[in-house]
Amino acid sequence: MKKVATLVAAFMLSALPAFAHHGWGGNEDKISEVTGTVTTGVSLAGPHATMKIKDTQGRTWDVTMAPPARTQQAGVTEKLIPVGSTVMVHGHRNKSQNNYEIKVTKLTFNGKLYDVYPGME
Amino acid sequence: MRTLLLWIEATSLGHLMRESGPWTYAIVNLTHVLGASALFGSVLVLDLRLLGVWSRRVRIADLATVITPVAIAGFLVAMTTGAALLATKATAYVDNPFLLIKFPAIAIGAINAGVLNLTRARREARVRALTTRERRQLAVFGGVSLTAWATAITCGRMIGYW
Repeated sequence: MKKVATLVAAFMLSALPAFAHHGWGGNEDKISEVTGTVTTGVSLAGPHATMKIKDTQGRTWDVTMAPPARTQQAGVTEKLIPVGSTVMVHGHRNKSQNNYEIKVTKLTFNGKLYDVYPGME
Repeated sequence: MRTLLLWIEATSLGHLMRESGPWTYAIVNLTHVLGASALFGSVLVLDLRLLGVWSRRVRIADLATVITPVAIAGFLVAMTTGAALLATKATAYVDNPFLLIKFPAIAIGAINAGVLNLTRARREARVRALTTRERRQLAVFGGVSLTAWATAITCGRMIGYW
């Protein structure tokens, strides 16, 4: 019995790192700000809320926000920002410079700041 | 691959997942984890037995009687909720290597279980003591099963880290 318990414990320990919530390892530590026009509105679906914006140089950014419920809590709903409006997002862009993906902690629309990850830079 | 993912995303399941409130994904995700844990937890016990643990005290046939329905139920729950999770934003996973390892691992696990149930040794285990050769054969099935499901779970958990 002891042998079995050890075996099972060893097996579970080997899977331990997988239990930590995933970080933002693929994104830069420094803050970037991108201003652009919304091309795909806010979606409160999936593991994280998302939207797409096009910057002044014509590049389309995949914007990832907090999990849906938390994003909604911060005041960002699916109906808040119409397609075509200008927003400024504040967060951590992908480490790969040709990947226009940014995980945002704050978002400014219509002169109002939405803090989608309160307490986070 | 991209075409397939686009199609999955466009299904009514995908629409349902995206249009039914901010907690939908989280709840379906939770159900997926419960299904996968029922599957893995039950299969782990049977696989250890096939590998020879508790061989003097528990009969394979008795263990399989209780484990098979739990494992099948867990598999079905995990499979349906997994399809729903994928359909939410399928195209977001287009370059995800973990997804590409996960699905073949699931296929190997499921086929292995199916073939195991067709083997002579598995049937004979109900009525008589197995020969060394038969026990070894079943141990191989146990090892393959454990490896396949552990790989599937590991890759599933890692998808979000990519």
